Amino acid sequence: MAPAPAPNPVTEPFTISCIAGRYLLFDVDIIAHCRRAHNICGVLVGTIPNLSQQNVFLGIPLELMPEEARVLVERGAAYVVDDAAVHQNRFMEMSREERLKFMEDMDRRGEEVTREQHSQAERRKDRALKEKGLRRETMERQSEDSVADGTATDETLQADDSSVASSDLGFIMKGSSFSDPWVQIKAPKIDSSAIESILLEPTPASSPEPTVRSSTSKGVAGQKHFVTPTTSYPPLPTPSQDVALPLPAVPNSYPLFRYLHSKGYFHMPGLRFGCHYNVYPGDPLRYHSHFAATGLGWDHEFDLLDVVGGGRLGTGTKKAYMIGGEDPDVGGRGDDNSHDEESVRAFSIEWAAI
Amino acid sequence: MTSILSQADMKQPIARAPLQTFVAVPTAPSPSGGTHLPHEQSLARQILHNLQHQHYWTGLQVHTHSPLTDEPLPRPLVSGLPPQRLYVHPDEQVELLKKADRERKARAAGEAGGLDVRTEPEREWILPTRLNEKWTLRRLAGVFDALTMVPPATETPAAAAEEGLASPWRTTKRVLLATADTDSTVVYYIVHDGVVKPRQN
Repeated sequence: MAPAPAPNPVTEPFTISCIAGRYLLFDVDIIAHCRRAHNICGVLVGTIPNLSQQNVFLGIPLELMPEEARVLVERGAAYVVDDAAVHQNRFMEMSREERLKFMEDMDRRGEEVTREQHSQAERRKDRALKEKGLRRETMERQSEDSVADGTATDETLQADDSSVASSDLGFIMKGSSFSDPWVQIKAPKIDSSAIESILLEPTPASSPEPTVRSSTSKGVAGQKHFVTPTTSYPPLPTPSQDVALPLPAVPNSYPLFRYLHSKGYFHMPGLRFGCHYNVYPGDPLRYHSHFAATGLGWDHEFDLLDVVGGGRLGTGTKKAYMIGGEDPDVGGRGDDNSHDEESVRAFSIEWAAI
Repeated sequence: MTSILSQADMKQPIARAPLQTFVAVPTAPSPSGGTHLPHEQSLARQILHNLQHQHYWTGLQVHTHSPLTDEPLPRPLVSGLPPQRLYVHPDEQVELLKKADRERKARAAGEAGGLDVRTEPEREWILPTRLNEKWTLRRLAGVFDALTMVPPATETPAAAAEEGLASPWRTTKRVLLATADTDSTVVYYIVHDGVVKPRQN
């Protein structure tokens, strides 16, 4: 097995984006850092719009529970930023030069992707032809030699080209007239006035007709990819800490979460086991969970039937059921976590098998 | 309507069942007198009866005062000795299995027999509850705060000796939560005071 690549260093404190009341992480390095250094797993929630996936296929962003965000902020490892407001402010402040520079950068990356894809397609084509025993060079020589058959050979080559080009779009798009005009729309050179008009006006650019390349650009080489940036903090500077939001609001199960987290446990959402948290002694990818934990207020009344049900389900799934909470009379809320040792009490419940 | 009432009036008093008598009347007048309500006392006796006759526990007794502070307990608790060990901590289980494996290897090869894991029973605290009760963490913590690690020994010296042997693995307090429903079904759950990893069943 190849060793894991060295992690990119993450500078603390990093930002947690608060969007519509949810705490999200968009950077893969920060997500890995949270898991490695802070025992915070979160849940990946990213999916394709209109084609939502089951939870094993999800990608970034990572959604943090409010408790997880709170723990990270209380540790001084992160701060929460209202991402919508920051985006509005910063993009309004962005100067024209910065904007153009970024657009150029995106175009350059798009061209790189196109070049890479084109060379891949060429390699694939060569390989396929070689397997059929038809060398590409020989075919080209043939076409040059026979003048009479020239049109037919050209057609086959053209068909070959288009099939390779459209293979990335999937078979549905093959043969449709959609791809060809789409290729031609994008101007190869950046026309700054056109971009300005695109950025500033919502109407599609109609006045400056994009310069169309010569007829050779109709092939694969002329197609350009449009790169959609997945992060907004390369174009924007990382928001500073003075716009940080106050501590995330947390449910009253938070003291138990904080207590178990301070003991080095990992947490996952507890919905599947009818509790607040599934508590793992190590990384959930490696260990079976130890507890199905429910955090309660110190004077919050609970039914014994819940204890019986939780205890029975926990034992059936090789866990213990746990209830716990913070005693407000002991220690009080201190800034350091040492208070947790006395103020939070947890009770582990197992079926007695009698 | 009147006829039903008159029938009820005519009904002969039914003799109480032996269990009913047992649960209702304390065998010896407790020194605490009126510290606990009658229904709490009868609940403790009901659980004691269930353990004694359905699960063959021995050395059962009802505690009304904390062995630590000698204050009255939040409610009467029961203590007793199960026929087999009730709880084996997973770490202790590993040790016991290793020990049993060594003993098996030490035995002659011709002898039959697999792993022989032996555990001595330990005295346990039992907290009697009713299913329709509401509990809070504060009350549960209050019960644990009034208890010792191991229930005080009965008058038999053998039990006291066992208590001394059993202690090294017993690092957190535990209580057997006995919950009785109205149909007299009793379920038992072990409650540990603190974060105790689950057994590997």
